[in-house]
Amino acid sequence: MDPLLENRLLETRRHLLRTAGLGIGSMAMQALLLKDAAAAPANETRNPLSARPPLSAGRAKRVIYLHMAGSPSQLELFEHKPALQKLHLQDCPASFLEGKRFAFIRGVPKILAGQFAFQQHGESGQWISELLPHFASVADRACVIRTMQTDQFNHAPSQLFLQTGTPRLGNPSLGSWVTWGLGSVNENLPGFVVLLSGGKTPDAGKSLWGSGFLPSVYQGVNCRTSGDPVLYLSNPEGMDRGLRRRMLDTLAEMNAEEFERHGDPETQTRIAQYELAYRMQMSVPEVLDISKEPKHILEMYGAQPGYVSPAESADDPRVLYKGDDPTFANNCLLARRLVESGVRFVQLYDWGWDHHGSSLGESLDETLPIKCQASDRAIAALIRDLEQRGLLDETLIVWGGEFGRTPMMQNNVRSELKKGYVGRDHHPYAFTMWMAGGGIQGGLSWGQTDEFGYYPVENPTTVRDLQATILHVLGLDPYRFSYLYQGLQNRLIGPTDEGRVLQDILI
Amino acid sequence: MVSCACPEFGGVRDAERNRWVSKMRGAILRCLLSVLSLLVCAVGMELRAEERVRFGREVLPILSARCFACHGPDEAQRQAGLRLDLEQDAKSPHAGGIPILAGDVAGSTLWQRINSSDPELVMPPPEAHGELKPEQRDVLRRWIEEGAVWGRHWSFEPLERPQVETDSAKAIDQLIQEALRQRGLSLRPQAGPYELVRRVYLDTIGLPPTPERADAFARQPDEAAWEQLIDELLARPEFGEHWARMWMDLARYADTKGYEKDLGRTMWPWRDWLIRAINADMPLEQMTREMLAGDLLPGATEDQKLATAFHRNTMSNDEGGTDDEEFRGIAVKDRVDTTLQVWMGLTVGCAKCHTHKYDPLTHADYYGLYAIFNQTQDADRYDDSPLLEVLNPELSEQRERCRQRIRDVQVRLARAEQADAAREDALWSVPEVTDSVSQQGATLTRQSDGTVLVSGTSPAEDVYTLNLRVTGRVTALRLQALVPESGGDVGVGRNPRDPNFVLSELELEVVEGERVRRLTIGSARADYAQDNWPVAAAFDGQLKTGWAVSPKQREPHSAVFVLSEPVDVSEAGVLRIVMRQHYGDSLTFRHFRWSITGRDASETQPLEPSAETRELRESLAEARRELEAVNARIPRTPVMVAVGEGQRRETRIHRRGNFLDPGDVVPAALPSAFSGGWIEKLSGREPDRLDLANWLMSPDNTLTGRVWANRIWARIHGQGIVETEEDFGALGALPANAPLLDWLACEYRDNGWSLKRFLKTIFLSDAYRQGSELTPELLSADAGNVLTSRGARYRLSGETIRDQMLAVSGLLSEKRGGPSVMPPQPDGLWRSTYNGQKWTNAEGEDRYRRAVYTYLKRTTPYPSLTTFDGGSGEVCQIRRIRTNTPLQALVTLNDPVSLEAAGALARRMTESPGQAVERGLRLALIRPARDEEVERLQALQQTIQQSLTEGPAARQIVRTARVEVPSGMSEAEFAGWIVVAGTILNLDEMLTRH
Repeated sequence: MDPLLENRLLETRRHLLRTAGLGIGSMAMQALLLKDAAAAPANETRNPLSARPPLSAGRAKRVIYLHMAGSPSQLELFEHKPALQKLHLQDCPASFLEGKRFAFIRGVPKILAGQFAFQQHGESGQWISELLPHFASVADRACVIRTMQTDQFNHAPSQLFLQTGTPRLGNPSLGSWVTWGLGSVNENLPGFVVLLSGGKTPDAGKSLWGSGFLPSVYQGVNCRTSGDPVLYLSNPEGMDRGLRRRMLDTLAEMNAEEFERHGDPETQTRIAQYELAYRMQMSVPEVLDISKEPKHILEMYGAQPGYVSPAESADDPRVLYKGDDPTFANNCLLARRLVESGVRFVQLYDWGWDHHGSSLGESLDETLPIKCQASDRAIAALIRDLEQRGLLDETLIVWGGEFGRTPMMQNNVRSELKKGYVGRDHHPYAFTMWMAGGGIQGGLSWGQTDEFGYYPVENPTTVRDLQATILHVLGLDPYRFSYLYQGLQNRLIGPTDEGRVLQDILI
Repeated sequence: MVSCACPEFGGVRDAERNRWVSKMRGAILRCLLSVLSLLVCAVGMELRAEERVRFGREVLPILSARCFACHGPDEAQRQAGLRLDLEQDAKSPHAGGIPILAGDVAGSTLWQRINSSDPELVMPPPEAHGELKPEQRDVLRRWIEEGAVWGRHWSFEPLERPQVETDSAKAIDQLIQEALRQRGLSLRPQAGPYELVRRVYLDTIGLPPTPERADAFARQPDEAAWEQLIDELLARPEFGEHWARMWMDLARYADTKGYEKDLGRTMWPWRDWLIRAINADMPLEQMTREMLAGDLLPGATEDQKLATAFHRNTMSNDEGGTDDEEFRGIAVKDRVDTTLQVWMGLTVGCAKCHTHKYDPLTHADYYGLYAIFNQTQDADRYDDSPLLEVLNPELSEQRERCRQRIRDVQVRLARAEQADAAREDALWSVPEVTDSVSQQGATLTRQSDGTVLVSGTSPAEDVYTLNLRVTGRVTALRLQALVPESGGDVGVGRNPRDPNFVLSELELEVVEGERVRRLTIGSARADYAQDNWPVAAAFDGQLKTGWAVSPKQREPHSAVFVLSEPVDVSEAGVLRIVMRQHYGDSLTFRHFRWSITGRDASETQPLEPSAETRELRESLAEARRELEAVNARIPRTPVMVAVGEGQRRETRIHRRGNFLDPGDVVPAALPSAFSGGWIEKLSGREPDRLDLANWLMSPDNTLTGRVWANRIWARIHGQGIVETEEDFGALGALPANAPLLDWLACEYRDNGWSLKRFLKTIFLSDAYRQGSELTPELLSADAGNVLTSRGARYRLSGETIRDQMLAVSGLLSEKRGGPSVMPPQPDGLWRSTYNGQKWTNAEGEDRYRRAVYTYLKRTTPYPSLTTFDGGSGEVCQIRRIRTNTPLQALVTLNDPVSLEAAGALARRMTESPGQAVERGLRLALIRPARDEEVERLQALQQTIQQSLTEGPAARQIVRTARVEVPSGMSEAEFAGWIVVAGTILNLDEMLTRH
C-alpha cells in the first residue's frame, strides 16, 4: 500500500467516518477502508489492526513460526547420510571447499559423521533422528523440506534475510507483513506476538520483529515470560483496577470535553486507545496465564506455569540448559492460546542452537540433545493440540533455523574430536525446515540432497520460495503484496520474481 | 493523489481492484463509487482541472508510474527500444508511428495503444496490472491536444522565488491565502495567547513555558511581544537540544554499533557538536560541509573533524566470521543513500542493483557516488578506527600534567641512571676501535666516545668485524646497544619498522701478528632477552639462533660475555670481534659500544641500581599509569579520514548489488542528470566529499532548498507541503502548495541558510498563529492540513512527551551534554548475544535528563521512545509516521518516568493549598484552568482519597512515585493528588501540540 495513504488511513480511517454529513456513504466508506465490503458493522475502536480478509481465499488464517536461532544441525536431526559415516574424520574433498567462504572453518576440515541414529517414521517413512521421538510420532502431519538454501552465512544477516526478506536492517518482518495484510481478529490483543526463550535475543535482535517501513502498529509485541508480559501493562503498586477505572473515567470525560472544543478525531481515537489499554490489562495476562490449562494439557506439552528458568537471565545461558526446562514448552502452549484468541502471527525464537563445538554449551553431542529434549515434546503437542481443537487446518506452523550446518566438523579451535566439543560450522547450501497445517500436505518429504547432505540434488528450495509459499497459503499473493516505499514497490520476496510458490507441497 | 484514494494492496493495481469490486454487486458497489468520488473531492482537490495541463505535475506522474518501468531510463528493462522519458525519443518515429504527436491525439501511437482493446496491443500490458484510469487518460489526451509541451519533474526545475508583493512573513500568509481561497477557505483567527506561547515553546525548544512566562505574554500579546518571545526562545540552549533530534534521526544516531553484538560506541561527542552547532546557528551550508567533509577542509579544526562522525553513525558488524569488506561496503552504500535522502529527497536504494526506473539515476551514477565515499580509512574494524580524541579543557590539562610529570621524572631518572652507569663504567674500560668493517658495505663510523654508529646501506643481513686495541688481561667483554637520547621511534636496530637486532653469532679472537687465538665464551648475561632469543644463543655455534630484544627494541640494552679463561694480550695484539647478524630484514645493530675488563668475574657482577633510581623508576611507572587512566577517560569518536594517495580504492559496480560480483570500474562522479555545470567546474578532477558537499548546497541543485524547507515546515506543522518528505522524485507526492514551497526554499537559502532566521519568519506569519480547532468543513476540505488551513494539531514526539512531563513536574535536569544516560527501563530487555553490557537504571540527576541524552542501543532502543514512533538508529529516518496506540497509553500511565513525574507534580500542586488542581492544570497546560475541570479533578481526588484510607495502597502509590508526603497531609490524601497529577499528565491536551 502507498505510505501516503497508509498514513492518512491511520488518521482518517477514523476521522472521515466519524464526521457527520457523509450519511449512508460513511458506512460504505468504512467498508471500503476496512477492505471488507461484506462485513462492516460499525466498529467502535476503528483500530488499524482490525481484521481484513485476504485478497484470495487462503487455507491458513494464522501462523506459528518456531525459529531455532543459531541453526540446528540437519545432519543430526533430519538428514540420514551413511556416506558421512564411511568418510568419518577423513579430509573433506577439495571440491566442497573451492571458492567457498565459511564463518570459522579454515584450511581442510575433516568430514564428521552424523552423531545420532536415524529411523523412518510414520506411513510416509520420513527419516527422523532419535533426538526427536515425539516429532517422529507426528511425522505424517508435517512436510519436511530438506533442500532449503540461503545466501547468507552469518546469523544476523541470515535471520534478517529469512524473516524480513533482506539481509540488512530496516525492512518489515514476516509477522508485520502478515498483520498489516490481514489485521488481527481480537482487538484486545496485539496482532503479532513474539515469545523468546533460550536466554538471549536472537542475533539480529528486535529488528526481526520490527515493522520496518510499515507503520509501527504492525511491529511484533514481545510478550515476556517474566515481569510485565507487555511493557508497562501492570498498574503501579497500590493502583488497583477500580482506582484505575475511576481515573480513566475522569480522563475520558475531560478528553471528551477537549474533543468538543477542538474537534480533532484523533482525540476520540485516544479515548478509545486508553479504553483498549484498560481492556488489555485484563485480556493479555488472561491469555498468557497457562495455569488455567488442565493438567493433561500441561503434561502433554511439558509445560510448567510460572516457571522462570535461571538460564533466562544468565550471562551465558548455554551452560545452564536442561532437558526438562519448560520455558520453550510454556511458549508453545502460549502460542496455541494466543492463536486461539485471535492473534494473527505468533513468533517463537529459541536461542542456543549454534553448535560449533568450540566452547562449552554449544556442542552437537551434548547440547543439541538437551535442546531437542526441551522442545521436541512441546512441538509435537502443539501440532496434536491444534489438531484436536480443529485449528491445525487453518494454522500454519513453520519450524527451522536460519541456515544449516556443514558436513565437516569445525576445526578452528581443535582439530580432534573431543567429548562435549563436537561441532559443525554454518552451512547455507542445504538445510532442513518443516511446515505443518494451514494448507500444507502432511507426510511429505520435499527435495533431496547429495550423499553428504552438502548440496540439493532435487528440488532446491530458496528462502524466497519459502516466503512466497507462506504468503500464498495465507491468501496474500506474494508477487503483488507490496508497499510503496522509497520509490519501490517493496515486497517480502524482494525485487525479483525468483521466489516460487511450492505448489507441490500444498493441499 | 487520486490514484491513492482507494486502499488496496499496493501491488494490486486497478485491474485487480476492478475485478474485486465487480464481485460486489448492487447497492454496496454504488455506495462505494459515490464515496470514492467524495473522497476524490476531499483529498485530491489539487488535481482539479486547470486551464492547461502541467507536464511536471500532471503528465509526468502518470508516465512515471505507468510507462517508465519498461520505457524509461533503465536500459536493462527497456522494451522495444522505446524511451518515453526523453522528449526527443517520445516524439520521433518509432515502429511505424509516432508515440506522441503534438496536437494530434488520434495520430499518437501512445494514445492508440493505451486505448486498444486488443490484449496483445494494449498498454500497459495486462500482466503489468497498470491500466490507466479514465481521468489519467483524460490528462494525457488534453496534454497532447494542447501541444504536448514537455518539461521536467517539478522538483528538478530551477528554484525561483515566486513574486509576492510583501515582506517575509506576510508572503507566507499571502501564498497560503491564495491556495485556501481556491478551495473557498481562508486563514482562521489567531489562537489564544496561552495556546500560542505553549505552541512556540514546544516548537522551538521542545519544552513548555512556565505559567509566569505565559502570563507575561498574555498580558500584552502584541506583535512586539511575540517577536521578543521568539528571539528569547531562539537564544535558549534548549533550542539546540530540541532541533538536534531531527538531525539525529537523519544521521541514524545511536550509542551502539548495531548488528549481532551491538557493542557500545562513543558517538555522543558528535551529538554535543550538533547541539553546539545548532545553538550557534551554524548555516546549513557550513554544517553540510563539515559533516560530509570536515576533515578535508583546509586547516581542519578538531570540531570540523568531529563533525564528520555524522557518517560514522553507520553500523559495524562484530559477529564472528563476518567479512569486514562486505560490511564496509554496506556502510559506504548507507552513506550514499543517506546523503541523497537527507539533502535531495531522492531514493536511490534501487540504483544499488539497477538503474532507477523512475528517476534519472543510473546504476553507474550510484557507484560514482559510492566511489566518492569509498575513500575513507574506516573498514568495519572492531575498534571502529580511525578515532578522534575529543578533549575538553579539563582532560586536556590533566593529560598535560601527567605528561609533564613523566618528562620531569624521566630527566631525573636519566641522571640517576647515568650515575649508576658511571659506577658501573668504572669497572670497564673502552678500548680504541682501530678498524671496523661491514661485510655488506654499510658505513661504520667510529665515534670519539668509543661507540660505532652504523649508517648508509641497510642490507638484510650483515657481519661487522672490529679490531680493538687491547693490552693486558681480559676476563670479560661488554656490548652496549644504544638508542639516541632524544628518544623518538628509533631503536637499537636499523629496520625503522622493527628496530630490533639479532646477534646470531659472536666470535672473539686475539690477533698478534700471524698468531690468531680463538677465544671461547664461558657464560653471558643480558639485561633483557626476547622470548626464545636468549643471549647464550649468540655463542652456541648456530646461525639460526641468536640474541634479540623485541618488544623492548626501543630501549638501550647491554650484555656481558665472560671468557672461559682470562686471556693476556700482548702490546702488539688486537682483540678482534666478529658480530654475525643473519636473521634478515635488516635486524642489525645501529649504534653500539664494546668495553672490556680484566677484573675477576665476581667483581663485574651488575651493580644494584641506587635507591634513588629505584624510586624514580617506580614513580615513572606510576605516572605512566596515571596517564593511561586519563587517556582511558578521553572520549574517542569514530570520524572520517581520507585514505592516503597511494591507498585510494578502485570502485567497481556491484552487479545486482552483490559485492562479490564486481563489474566495470567507475570513477568518482556526481550524478550526471543533476550535475549542472559541475563537470566543468571540476575540470577533469574526480570529485571528493568536499566537492559533493559544495554541489549539494550550490544553487545548481534544485532539490536541496526545497527538501530542507519542506522538512523544517513539517517539523513545525506536523506535515510537509510535500507529504513524502523522503521522496521528491517521480513517485513522491506533489507539493500541496508549490509556490509556498519554492518561496520558503528561496527564503531559507537567501537568508544564508540560517535555521533561526527561517524559523522566526515562519513563526511571525499569521498562518502559524491560527487557531487549531477543527470543523467538519475543514476536515472535508483539508483533512490532512496540507494547505495550512488551521493551526496544526498533532501528538507530540516521545521525546517531547517525556521532557514536558519532567519539566512541568520540576524534575527535569538542566545538565547538558556528555555521555548518554540510562533512565529507568524494565529489567531484562537487553539480552544481546555475546555482549556483557548492562543497562543500569540511573539514579539522581541522570534519571531526569532530556530524552535526547537517553542511551540508544540499536537492537534494544529505549521502549518508551519507540512506542511513540522513535526509531532505532539503524537507517536514516526522514520522518516518523505518527501512530495512536494502546501501548502509548500504557507508557504514560505506568512507566516509571510518568509515575515519578506525577509524584513530583503532586508535590508542586499541594504547595498551593486549596488551589492544587488549578496549579496543576496551569503548570501542565499553561492556560488558566476551567471551573468544570477543577471540579472533576477535585472530585477524583476525593474519591481516591476515600477509597485509600485503609490498607497499604496509599503508601505504595506514594512510594512508587518516589516522593515524600507533605507534612501534615495523610498518605491517602496525597495519593489522591498523585492520581490527579497522573490524570493531568495523560490529558489529550497535554500530549498534543496545538
